[in-house]
Amino acid sequence: MRHLWREIKFLLGQRASVWTIALLTCLAALSVGLGLQEVARQKAAISEVIALQKTDTAAIKTFATDAGDAAYYRFHPTWDPPSTLAFAALGQRDIAPSILRIRALALEGQIHENEAHNPELALPGRFDFAFVLIYLAPLVLIVLFYDLWSGEREAGRLASLQALPKARMRVWLPRIAVRFGLVSAVLVFVFWGGALISGAGLSETIAFTSLILTLVGFWTLIATLIAKGTGSSPTNAAVQATIWFVITLIGPAGSNLVINATTPIPDGAAIMRENREAVHDAWDVDRDATLQRFYKLYPEYATSPPMQRPFEWKWYYAFQHLGDQHVEPLSRAYRAGITERDARAGLVALALPPIAIQRGLHRIARTDMAAQSSYQDRIRAYHTRLRTYYYPYLFKAKPFTPADFDAAPAFEHPSGENVH
Amino acid sequence: MGGEGLSLSELVVERGGRSVLDGLTLSVPAGHIYALLGGNGAGKSTALFATLGLLPVVSGQVLVDGKDPASQPDAARASVAYLPETVALYEHLTARENVDYFLSLAGQSCTKAQIEEAFAQVRLDPAAQDQRLGAFSKGMRQKTAIALALLRRTPVLLLDEPTTGLDPQATQDFHALLLDLKASDVAILMVTHDLLGAVAVADTIGLIIDGKLASEWQAQGANRRFDLQALYGAFTHARVGHAAA
Repeated sequence: MRHLWREIKFLLGQRASVWTIALLTCLAALSVGLGLQEVARQKAAISEVIALQKTDTAAIKTFATDAGDAAYYRFHPTWDPPSTLAFAALGQRDIAPSILRIRALALEGQIHENEAHNPELALPGRFDFAFVLIYLAPLVLIVLFYDLWSGEREAGRLASLQALPKARMRVWLPRIAVRFGLVSAVLVFVFWGGALISGAGLSETIAFTSLILTLVGFWTLIATLIAKGTGSSPTNAAVQATIWFVITLIGPAGSNLVINATTPIPDGAAIMRENREAVHDAWDVDRDATLQRFYKLYPEYATSPPMQRPFEWKWYYAFQHLGDQHVEPLSRAYRAGITERDARAGLVALALPPIAIQRGLHRIARTDMAAQSSYQDRIRAYHTRLRTYYYPYLFKAKPFTPADFDAAPAFEHPSGENVH
Repeated sequence: MGGEGLSLSELVVERGGRSVLDGLTLSVPAGHIYALLGGNGAGKSTALFATLGLLPVVSGQVLVDGKDPASQPDAARASVAYLPETVALYEHLTARENVDYFLSLAGQSCTKAQIEEAFAQVRLDPAAQDQRLGAFSKGMRQKTAIALALLRRTPVLLLDEPTTGLDPQATQDFHALLLDLKASDVAILMVTHDLLGAVAVADTIGLIIDGKLASEWQAQGANRRFDLQALYGAFTHARVGHAAA
C-alpha cells in the first residue's frame, strides 16, 4: 500500500499525467451528464406524448361513435422507457424510437416509417459513457503507459531502477497498478455518480462496473506488454495507437461491412413503401375477394353479412391487415436478418474484446438490438390485441358504446412503467 | 559497515553472441577501493551490470556481500548501491524528494535529519536541497546521487565513470567522500577512464582488456602510491592496442 500511495503522488506530480487524468474525468463526467440529459429528454417526451394523447383521445371520443371511426382516428401510444443504465450506454436508443403512436391500421408501415433517418448522422453514435470507455479511455492509458519503461531508459534511469532490490514489486507493479487504478477509479466513480442519480439497481451497476474494469484491464495488459519491450517511446506510442486503431475502429468497421454484405436484409423503408402500396392497391381490388382472403385468416368472421354499401369499415380493416400479410415475408426476413447480423457481430466480438465489452454494456443497459427487437415485438403483439378488439364491432355489428371506446386495450410495458 | 565485499570469479558474459567478459576475476574487500580501468568496449560497464544481476552470466560467479545476484537478485541488490555514469534522477522532483523517492523504492526510509546529514556530507548547498533537479548542474546532480548512495548504507558501492564532467573542485570533493566511505568499510568498485583519479583514491587498480583482467596494481608504501609511469604506459598501450584491434 505504501508503494501504491507513493506512486500515486509521483504520478500526480507530473503535469502531463494530471492533465490526462483531468481530461478523462471531464469527458467521462460530460458523457454521463449528456446521457442523463438524453434519458430525461426521452422520458419527458414519453410522458408528454402520453399526456397529449389523452387530450387527443378525449376529442376523438366526441365524434367517433362507431368502431370504424374510433379505430381509424384514435392513436394508441406505445413506449419503451430507457432503463436506469441507458444514460451510460445509449446504444440503439439514439436512432430507434422510444415512443411510437400506432393505429389499428396496417402496422408495418407505421413501424418502419421511423427508419427514414440519416444513416451518416447515426454512424458516429452518441457521445455517451460507453463511447468514452471504449474509444477514449484506451488512448488515455496509452498516454500513461507508452514510455513507462522506455522513458526511464531514455532518461538514463532504467539501470538504476532495475538495480534496486525487488524492483518488480516496488517499482513496476505499483506503477502499473496506479495507472490502472486511477483510470478505473475515474471511470467507475463518474459512472457510479450517474447510476446513483439514475437510481440504477445494485446488481446491474456491479455488472456494468465489472465490464469497465475488464476493459481497462485489457488495455492495461496490452499497453504493459508493448511498453515493456525494447522499443523507443515514439515507437511504443505508435504501436499502441495502431493496435487501438485496429481493434476499436478498423476491425469493427471492416467486420460490419463484411457482415452487412454477407447478410443482406430488406430495407425498412422498402417494407413501409410495399406495405402502403399493398393497402392503396386494395381500393382497386374486388372487395369480396379481399374479404374472402381475410376470412381465411379469421374464419370466425366468415358469417359476416356481405357488404351493402360501397364503403364499409370491415372491408377497410380487412385490407389493412392483408397489407401487413403482404409484407409479412419481407418483415420476417428483415427481423431474421437483423438477428443474424447481430449474432455474427457477436462472433466477431469474441476476437475483439473491446467490442464484446461494448455489446455487454448495451445488453446490461437494455439498449442493444435485442431490446429494440423486443420493443417491436411488443408493438406487434399490442397491435394484434388492438385490431382484434375492434373486429367483433366491425364484422359482427356488435354495438359500440362510449364504454367500449374506453375499454380499448392499452399498451403495457413489461417493466411496469405503464401509463393509461 | 563491514561485510564480505565483492568478488567476481572467472566471469563470462556474452552480449549479442560475443563474449564481453571473458573470465574476469577480481576481488574488492570491505573498506577497499578498486578502480577498474580500460578502454571503450573493454567490458567495464558490463562488469557492473553483471554485478547488479542485470545481465545473465554464462559462467563464473559474482558475490555481492556473499550473495549471488544470479540466484539471490533481491538480496544482492539490497547490498549494493549503484551510481551510473550519467546521473539521471527525476527532474520534476527536488533533491530531497528524489532521495526520499529512491529510498522508498529501495524499501528504505530515512529521517529528515539523516537526509540533511547526507546532503551536508556531499556538500550540497542547503538552499539547493529543496530545488527541483531541472535547475541543477552536473556536479549538484552527482552530489544528490551520492547522498542517495550514502543513505542506502550498503556494504558495496558500484560507480560508473563517477567523475566524468565534474570540475576539479567537485572531483576533489568526490574523492574525499569515497575515502570517507572506505573508512566506513564500504567495498567500492569504480570503473573509470580517469587514471589520475584512480591513483588518488584506489587501493587496487585493475586494467581490463577484452573482458579479461590484464594487469592489477596494488598501492604501495606508507603513502600508498602507485608507479604512475608503469600504469600510464600499460593503460596507453591497452588503449592503443584496443584501438588498433
